[in-house]
Amino acid sequence: MNTVNDRSRELAPFVPSPDDDMLICRCEEITKGEIRKAVHEGMWTMTEIRRYLRTGMGLCQGQTCAKLVKAIVARELGVSPAELEPATSRAPMRPIEMRIFANEANEAKEGQDDE
Amino acid sequence: MSKTAEVIVIGGGIIGCAVSYYLAKKGVSVLCLEGSDHIGNGGSSRNGGGVRQSGRDPRELPLVMYGIRHFWKTLSEELETDCEYHQDGNLRLGKTEKHREILTGLTERAVKVGLDVRMIDGDEVRRINPYLSEEVTCASWCPTDGHANPLTTTLGYYKTARKLGARFITGEHVVELKKIKGVLRKVVCASGNVYEGETVVLAAGYASRKIAETVGIDIPMQSAMLEALVTEAQPQMFDQMLGTAEADFYGHQTKHGSFVFGGSSGLEDFTKDNGTPVCYAKTAPCICRGIIKYFPNLADAKIVRTWAGWMDKCADGVPVLGKVGEVPGLVLACGFTGHGFGIAPAAAHQLAELITTGRTDVDLHDLRYDRFHAKI
Amino acid sequence: MKRYDLIIVGAGPAGLSAAVEAARRGLAVVVFDENEKPGGQLFKQIHKFFGSKEHRAKIRGFNIGAQLLDEADKAGVEVRLNATVIGLYQDKEIVVKTGEKICHYKGDAVLIATGAAENMVTFPGWTLPGVIGAGAAQTMMNLHGVRPGKRVLMLGSGNVGLVVSFQLLQCGCEVVALVDAAPRVGGYGVHASKVARTGVPFYLSHTIVAAEGEECVTGVTIAEVDSNFAFITGTEKHFDVDTICLAVGLSPMSQLLKMAGCQMEDNPKRGGQTPICDALGMTSVAGIFAAGDVSGIEEASSAMIEGRMAGIAVAHYLGYMDLQERDRELSALNGALDGLRQGMFAPKNRGQVIEKTEEGIAVSASLLKKGFVADDEIERFPGVTHRTGVHPVIECTQNIPCNPCQDTCPKRCISIGSNITSLPIAVADADCINCGMCVASCSGQAIFLVDEDCGDGTATVTIPYEFLPLPAEGTMGVALGRDGKRVCEAAVVSVKSAKAYDKTHLLTMRVPKAFAMKARFFRCEEA
Repeated sequence: MNTVNDRSRELAPFVPSPDDDMLICRCEEITKGEIRKAVHEGMWTMTEIRRYLRTGMGLCQGQTCAKLVKAIVARELGVSPAELEPATSRAPMRPIEMRIFANEANEAKEGQDDE
Repeated sequence: MSKTAEVIVIGGGIIGCAVSYYLAKKGVSVLCLEGSDHIGNGGSSRNGGGVRQSGRDPRELPLVMYGIRHFWKTLSEELETDCEYHQDGNLRLGKTEKHREILTGLTERAVKVGLDVRMIDGDEVRRINPYLSEEVTCASWCPTDGHANPLTTTLGYYKTARKLGARFITGEHVVELKKIKGVLRKVVCASGNVYEGETVVLAAGYASRKIAETVGIDIPMQSAMLEALVTEAQPQMFDQMLGTAEADFYGHQTKHGSFVFGGSSGLEDFTKDNGTPVCYAKTAPCICRGIIKYFPNLADAKIVRTWAGWMDKCADGVPVLGKVGEVPGLVLACGFTGHGFGIAPAAAHQLAELITTGRTDVDLHDLRYDRFHAKI
Repeated sequence: MKRYDLIIVGAGPAGLSAAVEAARRGLAVVVFDENEKPGGQLFKQIHKFFGSKEHRAKIRGFNIGAQLLDEADKAGVEVRLNATVIGLYQDKEIVVKTGEKICHYKGDAVLIATGAAENMVTFPGWTLPGVIGAGAAQTMMNLHGVRPGKRVLMLGSGNVGLVVSFQLLQCGCEVVALVDAAPRVGGYGVHASKVARTGVPFYLSHTIVAAEGEECVTGVTIAEVDSNFAFITGTEKHFDVDTICLAVGLSPMSQLLKMAGCQMEDNPKRGGQTPICDALGMTSVAGIFAAGDVSGIEEASSAMIEGRMAGIAVAHYLGYMDLQERDRELSALNGALDGLRQGMFAPKNRGQVIEKTEEGIAVSASLLKKGFVADDEIERFPGVTHRTGVHPVIECTQNIPCNPCQDTCPKRCISIGSNITSLPIAVADADCINCGMCVASCSGQAIFLVDEDCGDGTATVTIPYEFLPLPAEGTMGVALGRDGKRVCEAAVVSVKSAKAYDKTHLLTMRVPKAFAMKARFFRCEEA
């Protein structure tokens, strides 16, 4: 996307909120307050939030919380959630045991393999 | 918005963020330009987190040793960020006689520079790390090595630099450097914005090559794509950083419990991409096979993510650091060749010293830009 | 590496439909699905679908799923189940986990039809056991025969929230409230009405303040919200519940497309991150296609059509079909898709407030606010007329693309005309024979057969009834109004079941004639 984004722009001051201790990312147990605070510390993209706090890095890979985190970040930044690019999608789409990932089978039909 | 600062830093990776931090701490006005939308989006967030001295080229060893003595132990406190630094040693593992030869050579060269590193046998390896398989017959052991979290460390530098007044602008893709009256002054971006400073630090990884070219500087480096993966959290097993003589994988267990491993398929120098670093379907399975041979009881650990990143592979394997005589005002910090994370605090700190005082504590002569010569 | 003409990810309505079309034209097609059963969400859908014949209207979702599987089987589609796609790599390479191994495949074309995942909302206590998604509730009830809870609060008045609320009632749960932060019911009015008439109260402009409980949900508090969705103090209402069911929308599961480098956009109208596709469903990466919810949240009916279109587009892309044939086929399917995308709930009307029907009749305010058409509003709709003898009363008050009632009546008592979204009209001079086909055919359960005056001071009302156990003839109980409140005593005259009714039973009750146009549900309880 590459939009010029001056990270020194002033945000509205951080005001603690009564629901700051509510869990948002269940896999990694990250609260709403931690996410809000990270925005005020300069983490302005979904990717930065994820790398800084681990939101969406757990077993569900953000399937549940990605939209929730996005809404919180957008609100702190005063932008629409649609303006925030979601974090990258990475394989494996579902967690997979190392021994299975390591076990590559060849299913090529006879005669289809290159000699 | 002012477009001038005493120092313009190009690249918002760990080097750029850390240089910005150390300069801002000295009261220097800094403006850091990052081409992508995210701080720390290149190798800084994609590496395996090693904070290693062992296994390094003697030319860069003094710098990383300086960093481990002066910065890493107090970095979390200084950056008000949990950098998850562990100084519990590095095991570089070997299985064969050939491996032993490689490791012994590396060890002897490092000892000469004054590093505490020695060769140990398989039994001693397993006393240090009982999870390693019997296939491991030797290792180099450097007790002052360790690992940290590259994501939080990079963002920690950014956060603290920003707090100290350093300005960061993301999505600002630099396309050209411009001299004014023989001195580098201007930085031109794809957006049309032009920034101006007395010093320009070029720390944009492989992208530095294209940018430096605009003032006639050619840094002999290539990009190569490396891959890494992470498991779900596992019970606490060990705190050492690990590598292998064959360089088939490296990694550690994080504070979170997950294992982060980097590795290769052997095809790295010949891979292609779609404009972003993308994983090869063959690589992660290969890394998994490598790991299981060393750690049979990680076989059931689930991989939750794989990723790729480009490294800036320098012709002689060590970074290009410091001022460039031909282009007054230009300071280079690139070509870290895949091991820039552990050395970043020291490199950035010394460059900040160089910019503000003209001197450095560690001699950077071996890492200068004009060191490259033809073979005959 | 093993190569197919077309690799499809997802054996739901879109994926299977595409597979059928492609396989019929000679493509070597494989469909991977991580689930143990194919069909995607279709097998959880026990209600009758809307639409016209070509959309398989009035057929229950799981039966549509069975038909589709049968077609796929006959077309020679290879469906691999328990096959989890790990990633979509460069050069259209797919890595699939099956059992204890992974396999690499390449497709000359790849179709991603991975569907959608449920959204969540947060409130204090949202992580307590007992807070579940509506989809999870459907899985428990309709696939595994497990009742999700005893007392349930439903959040969300879209079609999913409404349909699942009705299913919860069918499986014996008490639905204590249907809540939505929006000021208007989001789903079809007929779906809302069949829930409301059983006595479930609707709370629009309300949302959850907190779920209560230590180990699991034991209660929930809701409160009214203002136009900025801020709670209005003093409006709190508490319910003892063991389950809170969330039906707050779906998001496309588009991660594979993003991984493959397809250009994406965040499109709130499509439900989130969706690929940017051309008219044929091809993404920005040549040869990678998307169909169904993954390219924008809609209904299973449209997913099936989109899937067919994608299958045909791929067949042409790979040279199995000429351009004229492709365009001919696509134009027919486009017509069918357009048909589904008409009316008040068309994608283009999302988020708009519609005040009048296409016929110029004011829409029911009560329906949007409380889930039922008020007694003083119902008479203005063309399906509601009065005449001597048994006649259909069609309480269908919104323009939706659906017309089985018109087709099913052997006596042409009901007319919609050629415009599928028109409100059904009770034809004045037609002769109703009380066959009940209209009652059973209406996917919205909005048609009643009423004899307003049996000559003895009573009236009979025949209602669609999908609850067990079926009351016996002569059972005394109470008739409930459209609002779910008791209107009068009622006696069961008959309960008719027939194969043609497809599990919708026709319960006829006798009520005092003053209540003929008010009594719309029967509850077996002491009067």
